[in-house]
Amino acid sequence: MKFDNIIIGGGLSGLTCGIKLAEQGKKCAIVSSGQSAIHFFSGSFDLLGKANGEEVTNPLESMKSLPENHPYKRVGLDKIERLTNDALHLLVRSGLNLNGQADRNHYTLTPMGVMKPTWLTLSDFTSFDQKDSFPWKKAVILNFSGFLDFHTLFIKDGLKKLDVQAQIKTVSMKQFEAIRKNPSEMRSTNIAKEFDKENAIEEFAQKANVLSDGFDVVILPAVFGLFNKTIADKLKEKIEKPVLLLPAIPPSVPGIRTQITLRERFQELGGTYLLGDNVEEGVFENGRLLEIRTNNHGDIKFEADQFILASGSFYSKGIVATHDKLYEPIFGLDIDGDSNREKWFDEKIFNDQAFMHYGVKTDQKFRALMNGEPVENLYVAGSVLGGANPLKEGSGAGISLLTSLHAAEQILK
Amino acid sequence: MNKNRSKEYDVIIIGGGATGAGTARDCAMRGLSVLLVERHDFATGATGRNHGLLHSGARYAVTDHESAAECIEENMILRKIANHCIEENNGLFLTLPEDDIAFQSQFVDACTSAGISTEIIDPKLALRMEPSANPDIIGAVKVPDGSVDPFRLTMSNALDAKLKGADILTQHEVVDILKDQDRVNGVELFDHAKKEKVKYYGKIVCNAAGIWGHNIARFAGVNINMFPAKGSLLIFGHRVNKMVLNRCRKPANADILVPGDTICLIGTTSERIPIEEIDNMYVSKDDVDVLIREGVKLSPSLATTRILRAYAGVRPLVAADDDPSGRSISRGIVLMDHKERDGLEGFITITGGKLMTYRLMAEEATDLICKKLDVDKKCETANIPLQGSEKSDETLNNVSQKVYSVNGITQKSAKDRHGSLAHKIAKGDENEDSMVCECEGVSIGEVKYAINELHVNNLIDLRRRTRVGMGTCQGELCACRAAGLLCESMEEPGKAKDDLANFLQERWKGMSPIAWGETINEIQFTSWIYEGIYGLKPDNN
Ligand SMILES: Cc1cc2nc3c(=O)[nH]c(=O)nc-3n(C[C@H](O)[C@H](O)[C@H](O)COP(=O)(O)OP(=O)(O)OC[C@H]3O[C@@H](n4cnc5c(N)ncnc54)[C@H](O)[C@@H]3O)c2cc1C
Ligand SMILES: Cc1cc2nc3c(=O)[nH]c(=O)nc-3n(C[C@H](O)[C@H](O)[C@H](O)COP(=O)(O)OP(=O)(O)OC[C@H]3O[C@@H](n4cnc5c(N)ncnc54)[C@H](O)[C@@H]3O)c2cc1C
Repeated sequence: MKFDNIIIGGGLSGLTCGIKLAEQGKKCAIVSSGQSAIHFFSGSFDLLGKANGEEVTNPLESMKSLPENHPYKRVGLDKIERLTNDALHLLVRSGLNLNGQADRNHYTLTPMGVMKPTWLTLSDFTSFDQKDSFPWKKAVILNFSGFLDFHTLFIKDGLKKLDVQAQIKTVSMKQFEAIRKNPSEMRSTNIAKEFDKENAIEEFAQKANVLSDGFDVVILPAVFGLFNKTIADKLKEKIEKPVLLLPAIPPSVPGIRTQITLRERFQELGGTYLLGDNVEEGVFENGRLLEIRTNNHGDIKFEADQFILASGSFYSKGIVATHDKLYEPIFGLDIDGDSNREKWFDEKIFNDQAFMHYGVKTDQKFRALMNGEPVENLYVAGSVLGGANPLKEGSGAGISLLTSLHAAEQILK
Repeated sequence: MNKNRSKEYDVIIIGGGATGAGTARDCAMRGLSVLLVERHDFATGATGRNHGLLHSGARYAVTDHESAAECIEENMILRKIANHCIEENNGLFLTLPEDDIAFQSQFVDACTSAGISTEIIDPKLALRMEPSANPDIIGAVKVPDGSVDPFRLTMSNALDAKLKGADILTQHEVVDILKDQDRVNGVELFDHAKKEKVKYYGKIVCNAAGIWGHNIARFAGVNINMFPAKGSLLIFGHRVNKMVLNRCRKPANADILVPGDTICLIGTTSERIPIEEIDNMYVSKDDVDVLIREGVKLSPSLATTRILRAYAGVRPLVAADDDPSGRSISRGIVLMDHKERDGLEGFITITGGKLMTYRLMAEEATDLICKKLDVDKKCETANIPLQGSEKSDETLNNVSQKVYSVNGITQKSAKDRHGSLAHKIAKGDENEDSMVCECEGVSIGEVKYAINELHVNNLIDLRRRTRVGMGTCQGELCACRAAGLLCESMEEPGKAKDDLANFLQERWKGMSPIAWGETINEIQFTSWIYEGIYGLKPDNN
């Protein structure tokens, strides 16, 4: 099979890159072995939340202080602002409703009840301008009976620190009786499937309206709209008070919907999306990647002019650690990281961990290095790149989106 | 518990390991009024950080006849009284090509003379009995080794003591021993929950604080010559062997592979450490490498089996009184009457020994306590089964069937964990069946039972009682669910968040020495969930 571009990995980076290239008329394929990080998504795309240990208000400004080998610096700060606009527009064209801007972080409330700075937030969720002011005084937190994955007490505690009085109430829904019979089924996605049906929303909204009498805001777990893209909006229309959704224990319902939305956009543009297939190896000649082979397709080779590696970090197996080394499992690309495992960790879990900075080495143009030499047509994007700790910085989605667009632009040049 | 402050106990026992809990049970069974105090939680010392080998004694047969004989006797007793804490797996002593096969006959003779039954097995047959064993073995001997769950064993002793009237304080640390001239008459405790000091009085104070007995003795003004020997172990996420596997040679590093439940454990290393380091149990890279290298020789498939955690414990070894150099360290049971030894009345120390011999240690200590108190009652712990161990499987099934109408997995797991006490896991409303931890089959009902009845103060305690967060659940999501439940029973939700952070830190400590492969992937994922999405911090208040 022959394509213009083949992308390895169908997470946020692979999809962004694929959409961009397909929009420009490229014939693209994405090969992805499994779930991606978006399945666990909070609902917010982070750009830069922390720099030098301080919370960031203007990400574009604060990027200047990042180290030289940071992916943002390597993309070039002169291009970043434009790329953030492109990213937003690409996501919106794909059908996502988002709030936020790159030169000013807003805040979202986490399920621990703390405010966190971020860049773009799905319209399901509530964006706050200020870190320490909550627009409502009296909140009712609603949970479903038997649902363990929503931490009402933690939220209540967090709200107390914001001077908000909160009360917890439980709702029973007959629609959940069946799933509750099996003790491990009472999870977000199963609940969301029931709520994808409009009459369930109708019924729930009525109950919520009764229970929220006398309160200013209704807080609910984000279990609305798995396949049904309009149901979260319907819910908000039907509930008389403002609704604040907060993430439940993953998998994330809005995250899965985001993944589906982006994948559909890619496919509508003519892209080929192969899920559940693992890229195993590649054939190289004169510093070029000619073709790749996958697990499901045996001897059928996939050829392309350019390839993009967007295979994620450790958790997606984009890079692999054994007791004595780190490696990139498909091609054996060079790794930016220490092979001595004693260097990988700090003994305190909440400290900055060295391994979080590890990734595939690239040249200035984000082409992968193999034995110190760039592979001419193999670009690297997203969390498989090293040079940053996206968790500590709050830069996960930002790095993925911007490096993918950057790689796509290199190819389109 | 306030009412007890003015009361004088017959005996105050320090240390919630197997020895302390066993002594509390024995004393209570003999009608004494008992207070058991533990600074953290049950089984947080050596008891919760060992191999869980139900020694047949074979390991010591050649080098230490007395210990071997003690082991086999206690082995047989524990099978009777602590049935729910034991797996009767049997063990094999394997001779590898690099070992001296001549040792085998010496080994068998020594076992026989200690009363340990042995059976020499043809290597081919041995491999059929235990397919995971190294196929290169040139010799094998079968012995009655087994596995013991130290957490369950300790809890059962403590609960039984409690049912027989003992008072128990966890999270209470002895910070001083109270004396009236040449007589010990109580302890001063620091209550970690309330952050305050309290005093309790007793006629006898029994030091069962394992290696920390060194410090306790100091508080009393006497000196015990302890020699801390650190040992490291690895837990594998999958049970590769059915039987206990040993090397048939003089005891050395990393030569025992013990199966238990769904996992197996390789250990141990042995290293003298300074007494100042006994609270700082880290496992080094070298320890890990030795354990894997030697473990793979016993069972080659360990090379590809996922390691879940690494941990280390300290053996409470004592040097003979007449040998301050420590050259003649005893591995046997050490019982000290400080009246005889140091002229200090009302204070005894029970230490040394093994998990295996905890009951015997308790018996010897209680005999001495009774003698001092002039109580004439015989020890019955060798005959009367522990709470939860009542053997009839039928009643067990009946009871738990009544308790759980719905879920087979939870029912079985809870029964495995709590024995016949499983019926205590109340079936309240329909929601009690909901799963907190899927891979270990822990239900809301079980978590609530543990919180209400089993002295659970935090998530780490809960893990010791229920196995929440012990398995390979992706991202430790079960811990988050459990934190939600625990939060309901804590006055302060902020404390529950810190507790969750501590729990993750504790897991981290066990995982970081072996964090590669799936483990590093999981650690990264867990951090994203808790720190990234939840916004959890080391300090949340
Ligand atoms: C649990 C979690 C939650 C997160 N939440 C947020 C958040 O809320 N906001 C935020 O800004 N950032 C978040 N992040 C950061 C996240 O890493 C980035 O935002 C971004 O989603 C990463 O996208 P990616 O495409 O680079 O990698 P991934 O999402 O990891 O995708 C990589 C894909 O490559 C596939 N793959 C790997 N190897 C192969 C192979 N050999 N063949 C075929 N396919 C392969 C994998 O199956 C996977 O689908 C989160 C990360 C995690 C782990
Ligand atoms: C690596 C290793 C492997 C082993 N393997 C085995 C085996 O396979 N089989 C076997 O039979 N034995 C084994 N042992 C030996 C066995 O673990 C110990 O002998 C036994 O657990 C000791 O129990 P204990 O109750 O005496 O001491 P501990 O379990 O150490 O209990 C002492 C308790 O006292 C508490 N304490 C300390 N200071 C204070 C204070 N100031 N106030 C209140 N409480 C305090 C501690 O928190 C602790 O809980 C092993 C030991 C090690 C280290």
